[in-house]
Amino acid sequence: MNPRTRLWLVATGGAGLAALLVAACLRLPRFGGDRHPYGDRAVHASLERHTANTVASVNFDQRAFDTLGEMTILFAAVLGCVVLLRQTRDEHRAHPEPADVARPVRRYALLVLPVALLTGLYVVAHGQLSPGGGFQGGVVAATALHVLYLGADYRALERVRPVGAYEVGDALATSAYLVTGVAGLIGGTAFLANTLLPYGTFNTLSSGGTVPLLNAAVGMEVACAVVVLLAGFLDQAVEIVDEGEDDDRAGDGHHHEERGK
Amino acid sequence: MRHLLPLLVAVPLLGAALLACVGRVVPRAFAEAVGCAVSAGTAALAVVLLLDASPPLVEWAGGWEPVAGHSVGIVLVGDGPGLGMAALVSLLTPAALAYSWRSFDAPPRGNAGSFPALVLLFQAGMCGFAIAGDLFNAFVWFELMSVVAYALTGHRVEEARAVQGALTFAVVNSLGAYALLMGIALLYARTGELAMAEIGRELDAYGPPDALVLAGFVLVLTGLLVKAAAVPFHFWLPDAHAVAPTPVCMLLSGVMVELGVFGVWRVLGTVFSGPGGLPAADVERALMVLGALTAAIGALMCWYQRHIKRLLAYSTIAHTGLFLLGIGTLTLEGDDGVALYVVGHAGVKAALFACTGILLDRFGSVDEHVLHGRARPLRGVAVLFTAGALGLAGLPPFGTALGKSVTEEAVGGPLTVVYVLASAVTAGAVLRVAARVFLGLGPRPQEAAGDEGAYETTGSGEEPETRQPLSRVPDTMTAVPAVLLAGALAAGAVPGFADAVARAMSEATTAGLVQTSVHWTPVGVALGLVSTLLAVGLAAVAVVRPKLLAPPARALPLRRLQSGHVGDYVAWLLVGTTVLGVLALPAVLTG
Repeated sequence: MNPRTRLWLVATGGAGLAALLVAACLRLPRFGGDRHPYGDRAVHASLERHTANTVASVNFDQRAFDTLGEMTILFAAVLGCVVLLRQTRDEHRAHPEPADVARPVRRYALLVLPVALLTGLYVVAHGQLSPGGGFQGGVVAATALHVLYLGADYRALERVRPVGAYEVGDALATSAYLVTGVAGLIGGTAFLANTLLPYGTFNTLSSGGTVPLLNAAVGMEVACAVVVLLAGFLDQAVEIVDEGEDDDRAGDGHHHEERGK
Repeated sequence: MRHLLPLLVAVPLLGAALLACVGRVVPRAFAEAVGCAVSAGTAALAVVLLLDASPPLVEWAGGWEPVAGHSVGIVLVGDGPGLGMAALVSLLTPAALAYSWRSFDAPPRGNAGSFPALVLLFQAGMCGFAIAGDLFNAFVWFELMSVVAYALTGHRVEEARAVQGALTFAVVNSLGAYALLMGIALLYARTGELAMAEIGRELDAYGPPDALVLAGFVLVLTGLLVKAAAVPFHFWLPDAHAVAPTPVCMLLSGVMVELGVFGVWRVLGTVFSGPGGLPAADVERALMVLGALTAAIGALMCWYQRHIKRLLAYSTIAHTGLFLLGIGTLTLEGDDGVALYVVGHAGVKAALFACTGILLDRFGSVDEHVLHGRARPLRGVAVLFTAGALGLAGLPPFGTALGKSVTEEAVGGPLTVVYVLASAVTAGAVLRVAARVFLGLGPRPQEAAGDEGAYETTGSGEEPETRQPLSRVPDTMTAVPAVLLAGALAAGAVPGFADAVARAMSEATTAGLVQTSVHWTPVGVALGLVSTLLAVGLAAVAVVRPKLLAPPARALPLRRLQSGHVGDYVAWLLVGTTVLGVLALPAVLTG
């Protein structure tokens, strides 16, 4: 198809879709209405189970089965990336060279790393109390490790990041979520039922029954998944080179921006 | 019993997590054994639940049973059709894993668990989608099966074609998923509900359909029809099937695409069937037009292929069209027929892909022309391939034939011709391949010269999926298609099976109030025989007089639509959404 025809098709199809969406949006409920059938029920159910953060209650209790799907989507995406970004037969691995980093950058990075890591863990741990939770905190914790790549070099990052261990952690966290679910089925009333543990005192770390457990499992899964995912892409950029390609592509371990051009 | 429904998802997920955990240290045989055992165990669970699905099982995940008619939880519906699809998925998964047993060269080396783990995740996603009674939950499992399918399709990253096919698949299907999600958001904004039945009830309470309901309908159906590969959302499918490893093709064509049709059926019956949904006439018009178009284009393009995997992929598209026509009747008879047809088709199509995989691994080619006469020594495979072709044509007593005859009766009139022709042409193309490749009949095909040849994907020069080309075909690789074909045969021949399907469909849609009787009729058998004879005739003419039925020059624009350019496919997706909107527009204008 030539670009002109394609443009016509996109214009026609896009115009139709746009018209449909505009017409639909005009029929949406008005902003600031007071009718929230699901919201009202969800807040009620969340307070009944002593979960201060209603979003966490929806994610890890009321609709925990959806969250199981969402975390396995990430798990599957990471496993898929590990498979697709593998070192193929016509590629080989080059060792990244140590890199010089400006001293202020290095100092700042070493200062920020523990703070960022702690922030991530805090966000995970307080998921059932305040905004945040396993998904958000997991990403913060995982990216904290990568400050080392900026502050030192790729080899330093590789030392704190044995990819195999994180792959196992990813799988174990997913299993933990599933096992908690099955425990609800065996010991309680249904799969993922939050009836096994006491609901605790409202607005404390141990409140909400299984919500903190599932939240922690997701936090660990997301942190491990993001580490493995970034490792796959960084490996492609820094370490894995095509057969016959010059080894100096691996350079100082900082040349990935170059490759992105 | 109903409490066990979520295990259809949890068991394969646990298996996948286990395999991902130990995959780097265990030997390959162990990883494969775990994969087969877990998927077969899930299949056993699905079958046990299916036998107990009357009356339908309803389970609230997390034990969030409705209070005063409302729940904050997620509902799982274990009725006959849902559990039937889950069982079909779960039976086909161990078949695909058994097919790849020891022979399939599943990189990466040193991570033996990754391929079976991905297949188990695929199974979990498909099972979850089949038993979802909650629209958002259905979307989540829809996404899981999509993500895994992209990775499995691009599994052989060494080949540029595999990466491109997977990327096209990912882009088009992700856009479909966004459409689906947007549709769910619109329906949620109106109703404040996510369970399908609840959305339907709230829509009815709101009043006659307006632009928002129409947009919700169009967007939700767009997502599902992309998965079902209906024209013009179908372009990803041949590109993905041509490059996906054979066991993956068996699952993609055998059940995943059909789950898209199943999703359409489920959504139409629960969300949009009431007075607040769309009027039956408009839904019928939309599905009939798209279905007939899909069947016609699928069959025609199937006939024009020489790349055997692409040929089978187009035959799947043609059959999707026939399924859509069947559910488009919005009658119980149509549903019964399609359910049987899908079961039979899954066995037949997976078996045909399995046989094609043997050709690929033995000769390093899936090109009908290059393989001319080369597969003469593979007599057993030839028998299986031909039997599969006859099943595709709808030769009684295959399940496909029974399903087709029941559906033909439901659609009635001139559309019967579409069924006979689409199944005859697709089966004729497969028989033509069988005659040339396995028997070496007819003159060796000449290479087309010039412009036309440049646009053709030949299928030669493919890499075998085994470590080296097979010198001897392993028993598992022939046993699997044989068992699958036996299953497809049993679906039509075992007395009582069709009645059980009809009963399950009746309980799922009318709570058992309306009973239908499904059986072989003389007309149905006759039409099945006509399709088969027509297929044999077409194949014979094509082999003896290749010029007579060769793709004419005026078919070139149609073939060029399959350009491989992802931008084209996205443009068609947008057009398709608009067409769907226009077809269903009268619902809003008159209402």
